[in-house]
Amino acid sequence: MSVALDDRPTNASGHGRLLVLALTWLAPAIVAAAFLWLIGDVVLRGIGGVDWNFIVDVPRNAGRAGGIAPIIVSTFLVILVCVAVAVPLSLFAALFLAEFSRASVPMSRIIRLSLNCLAAVPSIVFGIFGNALFCVALGMGYSILSGGLTLACMVLPILIRTMENAIRAVPEDYRLGAAALGLSKSQVIIRVILPLSIPGLLVGLLLGVGRALAETAALVFTSGYVDRMPSSLLDSGRTLSIHILDLSMNVAGGDKNAYASVLVLGVLILVINSGIAALLFFSKRRSGLTS
Amino acid sequence: MNAGSRSFGRFSVMGFLAVFVLSVLSTGVSATERLMVTGSSSVAPIALEIAKRFEATRPDVQIEIQTGGSARGIHDARKGLADIGMVSRRLEPSEGDLTGHTIALDAVTMITHAKNPILGLDRSQIIDIYTDKIDDWSQIEDFKGPIVVVNKADGRSTLEVFLKYTQLKSNGIKSDIIIGDNEQAIKTVSTNPLAIAYVSVGASTYHIENGLPLRMVAVDGVVPNAKSLAEGNLPMIRELNFVTAGMPEGLTAEFIAFATSPSVADILDAFYVLPPAE
Repeated sequence: MSVALDDRPTNASGHGRLLVLALTWLAPAIVAAAFLWLIGDVVLRGIGGVDWNFIVDVPRNAGRAGGIAPIIVSTFLVILVCVAVAVPLSLFAALFLAEFSRASVPMSRIIRLSLNCLAAVPSIVFGIFGNALFCVALGMGYSILSGGLTLACMVLPILIRTMENAIRAVPEDYRLGAAALGLSKSQVIIRVILPLSIPGLLVGLLLGVGRALAETAALVFTSGYVDRMPSSLLDSGRTLSIHILDLSMNVAGGDKNAYASVLVLGVLILVINSGIAALLFFSKRRSGLTS
Repeated sequence: MNAGSRSFGRFSVMGFLAVFVLSVLSTGVSATERLMVTGSSSVAPIALEIAKRFEATRPDVQIEIQTGGSARGIHDARKGLADIGMVSRRLEPSEGDLTGHTIALDAVTMITHAKNPILGLDRSQIIDIYTDKIDDWSQIEDFKGPIVVVNKADGRSTLEVFLKYTQLKSNGIKSDIIIGDNEQAIKTVSTNPLAIAYVSVGASTYHIENGLPLRMVAVDGVVPNAKSLAEGNLPMIRELNFVTAGMPEGLTAEFIAFATSPSVADILDAFYVLPPAE
């Protein structure tokens, strides 16, 4: 844009500059319009169905009446299992890739290749894999646990990638300085590298949770369809996105509450993301890094 | 010193988490009797409501409904992964190892946009529309425009009912749009005056009552309404079945008996499906 607004005479014709200027304004305008239309549509159609009862009541009449309390609880539990498993696993994997192996070593190349492949796998495949492994082979059945673990497998690539980049972004001088002071490798990691890479780790978490919250296909076959209030992690629990799918596809007259649920899901994503963004803001201030 | 106390803090947090997870896991092991029901996603919402009513009379019982399509219902019932499979079509001769229990009937009908003046079609016209021998509405009625033929994806039970009625093969159908289920078909036709689709009478009745611009077309002269449904005159009918491997026993038998009893009539009504004929 700075090019187009530049006053200095250039070789580019006036028309060309105008075109570039128009395109650079038009493209974001289209994106913003699509976003606003989507949000507007969801809010307008959903707001009428959301009240306090909708949040605290159980679904009745196949979700056409009543509320979504058990579904919100199940959604939270599935995300909790996913994060509790995926975050430590990907943190250590990222540490290995960034600190303990050279990029050219076959082992780390294989890991990177498999991560890229995993990231490209459609989520329905994760669903069927999760069903075969967690539900059937490991005997967890349709449960929140199976669903959370399946989601964890699904968000691993994105988490490891962002965490690895965050760790790599810590300046090399810091490592050398810490080593010169006589700190061991593990001390450097715990005292220097991890605190400094927290903002990056949070960004990974943000992307992972976002993907997990929106997931449907991977959960239909793992956390399942039951809309009862879960009493343990071994109970099947329906998440918001599955509830929305069922109401809009299988239940005649479920549209109104489907829109209301979409609105709740939207607000939930907004709240979780702002929470992580706030953490990000404070951790950046604390670390003193501006990058 | 400082480092020591901090790492102790970390360990206590992990210990707390472990205890929490274990306690949450262990509460799942209780004395409730469980029944697993999997299969057709169009039967699932109905089965879920029936299950809730059954559970209200039997607090010691939990019925788990899971979806995945009729094929999954057949598979799971056969392999013993489910006590009951849900199948939204009649059982085939090759499925003689399974016992079917019809819980409801759902008729399939042709729908068009309310602006379309067509009131009735017969079987040969429907076949010609779905094989592109008739490709403009003007060939049937005083209404101009290319016909937008809406078909369902393979494996959908309404497609199977439609194929059985028309005796067409799935790959012989020439369609403009292929969609997955009734709700999608209804949305497509209600926004396109040139479209035609086949959908469940139950779903379309609901949407017509709620003001969507749709019309159920008379097929072979039979108009889908409460009377023709009750008399079983409609040419395209699908069964909504519970299937079991062999004869059901114990809790399975109890639940099936409940699901086929008059005490669920209002639930069937709420889904616009019919109780099975005696």
